[in-house]
Amino acid sequence: MRKVAVIGAGMTKFVRRALETPKELSFEATKAALDSCGLRLEDIECVAHGSAPDAFDGVHQKGEYLADGCGGWNKPTMRVFVGGATGVHAIIHGWYHVASGMFDTCLVVCEEKMSNAMPHAQGFFLTIFDHTTERALQPNLLWIFALEKNRYMQRYGYTKEDMALVAVKNKNQGLKHPASQFKDPVTLEDILNSEVMAYPVNRLDVSPVSDGAAAVVLASEKVAKRLTDKPVWVEGVGWSLDTAYWGTRDLYYPRYTEHAARMAYKMAGIREPHKQINIAEPYDPFGYKALHHMEGLLLSPRGKTVQLLRDGYFDMDGNLPMCPSGGLLGVGNPIAAAGMMKICELFWQLRGEAGERQVPGNPKLGVAQAWGDLMQVSSVVVMGS
Amino acid sequence: MAFLERSTKNTENRYWYPEENTFPVSNRYTTGVAGQRFFGELKDNARITGTRCHSCQVTFVPARMFCERCFARLDDWLDVGSEGTVFSYTVAYVNRDGSAKPEPAIIAAVRVADGILVHRLLGCNAGEVTIGMKVQAVFRPEAERTGSILDISHFRPV
Ligand SMILES: [Zn+2]
Repeated sequence: MRKVAVIGAGMTKFVRRALETPKELSFEATKAALDSCGLRLEDIECVAHGSAPDAFDGVHQKGEYLADGCGGWNKPTMRVFVGGATGVHAIIHGWYHVASGMFDTCLVVCEEKMSNAMPHAQGFFLTIFDHTTERALQPNLLWIFALEKNRYMQRYGYTKEDMALVAVKNKNQGLKHPASQFKDPVTLEDILNSEVMAYPVNRLDVSPVSDGAAAVVLASEKVAKRLTDKPVWVEGVGWSLDTAYWGTRDLYYPRYTEHAARMAYKMAGIREPHKQINIAEPYDPFGYKALHHMEGLLLSPRGKTVQLLRDGYFDMDGNLPMCPSGGLLGVGNPIAAAGMMKICELFWQLRGEAGERQVPGNPKLGVAQAWGDLMQVSSVVVMGS
Repeated sequence: MAFLERSTKNTENRYWYPEENTFPVSNRYTTGVAGQRFFGELKDNARITGTRCHSCQVTFVPARMFCERCFARLDDWLDVGSEGTVFSYTVAYVNRDGSAKPEPAIIAAVRVADGILVHRLLGCNAGEVTIGMKVQAVFRPEAERTGSILDISHFRPV
């Protein structure tokens, strides 16, 4: 396999409802990524794009529909889709295109327009549940997260307040991200006083449903070195899928995340991730998930994560800054684009271009992770400068 | 980019919305940045518009926000007139439930500038249609136009 670099990144704002069509959102992110590295569409050899269920945008065969906005006109174009993990999975998908030797440049574009789902994307989630054993109960997605969160809290004696600390941290960090839709800080009381949606999940424990797109440009080593002094390398990739009988898993520990992380770390030559990784962007659609994933990523000992969080270990100036972007809680959650936003964040952080959010001390190695399907898949990418 | 709804206060951001408290699913689409203007021109001025990419020498109809070929942002809006030519056509004899249509329906792909509008063709028999024939858009009366592709009632032979 050849070395693959990220050489450009771009994204739209993540908003409640955009006028732009899904194609137009994709165009804005793709154009920004191309402009960031001074490339034109004609310099791009292939497109690897990612978008979660067709149902959100309300367009079947969304991959084909989005292609022109992703720069796919008359080019080899291929979509990947693993639910919520799509955003991080898409760069793995693009990485193959270049690492294999087939292509020297590849656009990786992720888009989601959640607001097209009427009245709410929850209606489309209904059919992901087992049609005979679960659907009759009219579940919504919050239920399964609530069950998982409750089990996680019970296992280690964590409280709702412990879990709410993540929303406070990420939402307030997100205010520094130019793509975030929010402008006001939140307090722990705001989170705990927001209404209970499905115990123990309160409304503000959940990331905001959003529209948006994000993109990066990948290049082979030869091309990357010609185009930039600051390539950010894809050092390792991994992914793993657990059983679809989601209730039969531990729930308190995401072992599929550990499997994916071990695969990526091995490829990157990382033996002690908690010592070697400088920045973590774990997937945080809910506050507890960031902590759950930090444990699965082997970046925090099981059951000790809340203490480390309270001790400031995961702060911007802590030992291992967590979600410097502000994450899904702070910036927004247009599913696939949210995962790609984490890849963009590592790119900017590792180049020292993250502005107000810049992690101090010249971070050299970062990990991004996303999680999806029926809460059973993780995709992990290690990037290094 | 443009916002149709904004949610800038963290504490007021909803997960779902009170007036939207049931989940029989459907979709609500936006016409988009280019679509908003294209359909606005149809509704307000009974005018078909396209956007031109000067480097690719293409006029897209319906108008688009960007050129898919070179990724230029398109801001040169043209009135492309209401006439086009039949690029291809079909004659539909059955309804979607399989029953016979009382009258066959002609559906044409009409070339306008460098784009295509798929629409009904009225005012001629199936046997009279030819590829390459000139046709013209017939607009609904202003009061009936809603900003939809059906603001063009149909095409008819010139
Ligand atoms: Zn062009």
